[in-house]
Amino acid sequence: MKKPNTQPALHKVIMVGSGGVGKSALTLQFMYDEFVEDYEPTKADSYRKRVVLDGEEVQIDILDTAGQEDYAAIRDNYFRSGEGFLCVFSITEDDSFQATQEFRDQILRVKNDENIPFLLVGNKSDLDEKRKVSVFESCSRAATWGVPYVETSAKTRSNVDKVFYDLMREIRSRKIEDNKPGNSRGKDKSKRKKLKCVIL
Amino acid sequence: MGPPPIVTGVSPKEGPPGTRVTVRGEFLGKTPQDLCGLTICGCDCLLSAEWKSPNKIIARSGPGKGKGEILVTTRSGGRGTCTVEFRGYHEMIGPMKETAVWVEEAPLRKMWWGRRGLTPTTYQHDDPLGISIEGVEQKFPEEGLHKLFPGGSGDLSSENFAAGWFLLERHHATPFDDLRAGLAFLRRKVDGQKEGQLSFIKSNVGSVMEQMDTLAQLKERFEEDVEKQGQDPTVRLEGAIKESMLEANKLFEDVLTRRERADATRSALAVLQRFRFLFGLPGAIEKNIKKGDYDAVINDYARVINLFGNTDVPVFKKVLAEVELRIAQLRKLLHHRLEEAPTSLEAQKKLIRNLVHLEEGGDPAWDAISCHSRHLTTTMIHCRDTNLAQEQAALEEGGKTPKSSKQKSTSSSNQNSDWQTSVPARVLLTEELADAISERFPDFWKLGQAYFTGELQVKVVPGRQQDFKKLVLASISLFSGLLRAALMPHTLVRTPAAERASYGVWHSRGMEGLGPWLPHCVRALRHAYSSLIRLDLPSEALDIVAGLIFDLRVHCMSTLLKQAGESIRNLHTQESWNIQFDGEHGGITHLPAECERVVAEALQLAKDSVLLSEQRETLLLDPDVVQRDLNNLIQNMLLGFVEVLDKLALGSDAIAGESPGVSQMIGSPAIFQVRGSDSVLDKGRGKDKESGPAWEQRLLCVLSNIEYTRSILLPRIADLFARYQLPAQTGPLAAVKKALTELDQRVLDAYLEQRSDPLVGTIEPSMYIGNFNWHTALKPMDVRPYVKELLTNLISVHAEVHSISPGLVWRVLPQLVETVAEELARLMVCLDKKFNVHGTQQACADIAAIREAVTVYSTPTAEAFFEEALEAIPRLSDVQGKRNVEDVLNNFRSRMRLQLLCFRDPKTPSTKSV
Repeated sequence: MKKPNTQPALHKVIMVGSGGVGKSALTLQFMYDEFVEDYEPTKADSYRKRVVLDGEEVQIDILDTAGQEDYAAIRDNYFRSGEGFLCVFSITEDDSFQATQEFRDQILRVKNDENIPFLLVGNKSDLDEKRKVSVFESCSRAATWGVPYVETSAKTRSNVDKVFYDLMREIRSRKIEDNKPGNSRGKDKSKRKKLKCVIL
Repeated sequence: MGPPPIVTGVSPKEGPPGTRVTVRGEFLGKTPQDLCGLTICGCDCLLSAEWKSPNKIIARSGPGKGKGEILVTTRSGGRGTCTVEFRGYHEMIGPMKETAVWVEEAPLRKMWWGRRGLTPTTYQHDDPLGISIEGVEQKFPEEGLHKLFPGGSGDLSSENFAAGWFLLERHHATPFDDLRAGLAFLRRKVDGQKEGQLSFIKSNVGSVMEQMDTLAQLKERFEEDVEKQGQDPTVRLEGAIKESMLEANKLFEDVLTRRERADATRSALAVLQRFRFLFGLPGAIEKNIKKGDYDAVINDYARVINLFGNTDVPVFKKVLAEVELRIAQLRKLLHHRLEEAPTSLEAQKKLIRNLVHLEEGGDPAWDAISCHSRHLTTTMIHCRDTNLAQEQAALEEGGKTPKSSKQKSTSSSNQNSDWQTSVPARVLLTEELADAISERFPDFWKLGQAYFTGELQVKVVPGRQQDFKKLVLASISLFSGLLRAALMPHTLVRTPAAERASYGVWHSRGMEGLGPWLPHCVRALRHAYSSLIRLDLPSEALDIVAGLIFDLRVHCMSTLLKQAGESIRNLHTQESWNIQFDGEHGGITHLPAECERVVAEALQLAKDSVLLSEQRETLLLDPDVVQRDLNNLIQNMLLGFVEVLDKLALGSDAIAGESPGVSQMIGSPAIFQVRGSDSVLDKGRGKDKESGPAWEQRLLCVLSNIEYTRSILLPRIADLFARYQLPAQTGPLAAVKKALTELDQRVLDAYLEQRSDPLVGTIEPSMYIGNFNWHTALKPMDVRPYVKELLTNLISVHAEVHSISPGLVWRVLPQLVETVAEELARLMVCLDKKFNVHGTQQACADIAAIREAVTVYSTPTAEAFFEEALEAIPRLSDVQGKRNVEDVLNNFRSRMRLQLLCFRDPKTPSTKSV
């Protein structure tokens, strides 16, 4: 695997969500097609590989963050560098679903952008019998945020590729949009920032 | 070779040294053995690496700091690549940091090695609010802070800590929500601490339990001991130690006494040994002296003096006296050997050292030096005497000359007819002296150096330095003087007679035949000189030899040139008159080539041995005097060749040669005779020298040679000089050129005289042959025979000249034509117009014919003479007469066509004669 002279486009994806919902499991399944049974809390893991997205070779960089509250303070730093977010909760755990709101807020605060590429992911769909979060509930929250909702299973690999590829597509189209001249989003952003400074 | 490993994942992506890192990727090795290298941030982590699968390795990060790659190397795939980064950082223990173990500040890293999870917040964060302060570009001005919080400080550990200051300093750009989150974080932490030690112990329960256990164990052990040993456990120990000491003393007492006894015996034996040495010494000394092992003797002697030097025992004294006697003998022996014929330098140095060690009085080193110098002188004088005697003997016996290789056959009566006899004694002397100097002198000089540098462990007597220098100079100048006396006595003219005599007086006759040996002598001398230069002699001494060499080179050069001059002067004996033609310069003999060869040889020889300067020699031609001498010599040498040519052309024996002449009538043309003798020469040359070519031809040859020499040879010789890096010899060359030109003129005149006299002489008799009379002449039908004869004779001269050098034709024929015209004019004027009509016609036709024939070689003077001749004849007035003349001329032209062709200018053929 030799690197070509021109680096393929790099899309930075960040996994967020409460502890134990399966962020790392999704990541490892996507990266290495393996399912890790034993649980080991993540601090912050980094993965990067080449994938072919709609015929175009791109690089995906996945930052797998810690779900534990202990690390909440350092999340800001990570979020800042992300271009797209997979907000994961476990359909077997209502607390994790509730926490998604908190993550969403934090991301919006850090990124300062309502339209940041974002997917709401309900994991552990193979454990349907233990479901605590209904599809309706999840869909309505996703609709409120204006983001897609996908149910996945890291164990069965159902929809695993889909969430990553969908997110990458969003990131890509977002980048193309940003590069268009006359787009005033950047301006808005700076304006808003200034506004905040004034408040402070 | 499989695909190279690639790392695509790392968990976690940062951490302090010792962090357990899960490395994920592809082709990370097929087996644990396949993995042969793992670096994280440049630190080798292979030791802690644990291979799990081709996709996963677990290792602990090393002490690397900062971001870096994770590189995996496998045997099957080589060195891999990496798409992710690991960041290593060093964790600091701050005031906000709890830790269950004692933290030593300095080797912080080691304390943390492999210990994780001891505190719930291993993730270090500077900020108590847990908010990142990255990206704060603008700093709050410090003056403003001072104003707002007088006496405050932003330092958390300071007593004057002011929270406002801290917030403004660190977080003045942090959004309010963030600050709120930070506050929540801080509150959580404080709460955690407030829970008391409980939560801390909870998280570190392992260590605490361990500590408790250890303390309990310790207490248990101690109590056990007290139970067993009573309150004071050391009493018994002390008793045991004392007892063992006593026992040890008992054990070793015996051994110690035995050792003392052995020591005593040994020293007694040593004393005895010493006595035996003393009594055996005289014998040993003698034996060693015989063996030549002086060092051993000296060692023994020094030892005995050391041991018994101050003894009062009469027996010892007696033996010592005997030893002294032997040593005195040894001293004498050594001294004698030192003064004997010189041994090698090392041997001599050794002898001197031995003598010094034997505390010999006097100065053995200096003795050796002066002895050496004496020996050098005697060797040289001896050389001189033997060779002088030899030459004397040779002179008396062999008669005229000292033997040289050429004379060997004549002096066969000489008894020693080996190779040596063929070499002049003087040359032998030079060789021997040069050998002596280059062999003996270095030893002498080095000995002196050793003496003065203290290598011989002798005190240098003041003033010796000067004496040594004198010795050196004396031997060198003796060397030079001897050689000068033998090879160049003329350079010694100014030295005092007594000194001159000491160098030996050589018979002046011995100088002959020395020439060819001189370059050899120069080489021998140079060899000696170079060995002297290597010695680093004082320049005074070297200058003497350098002067000698220079003089010898000059002498050699002049001898060589003189020799060359002589051999050039002798060239006339080698003239074979064998003419060689080359395209441009007509015929020349081999003489010029010989001359060139001789010059070139002389120069080559001179260059090889004399002209080039070696190290520390002056350029031969530097002094003006030498240059002038050289010029004279060269001029002489080259003038020699001119003389040779002169001798060949005009010398007495040359004229004596019989001249076939041209004064023959038509019936016996000279051409045939000349040709005939030429062919004889070609066939039988060498058998009969006397039958060489006629004098006239020789003259022509010489003329041609002169021309060649002037135009070709001299420039070539100039080239030669240039090639041998002699300065341009313009002076001598010009002089030679002048001499050549003069000679050329003389030879030409001689030839012309030789040829024109008979030619002109024949005109008158031939004109009146058969009682012809101009006033009784019949009607002319043809030109008169004398005209034909004249033309034929001219043709033969032309042929002769042309056969040797075509170029000369132009110098010879016009002159001849002039003389012929003059004679014709004289004859016609003498007739005083006594012509009848036919005679007039005849004369007109004759003169016109001659004139027409030689028109190519005619000169204004010749034309004037022809006019004069025509005027002497009565004017031809009638048409009939003119037509008659015309008829005769036409007749002449057609009949003599062949002959007339001879006079045509070979370069511009004229149509006149056709």
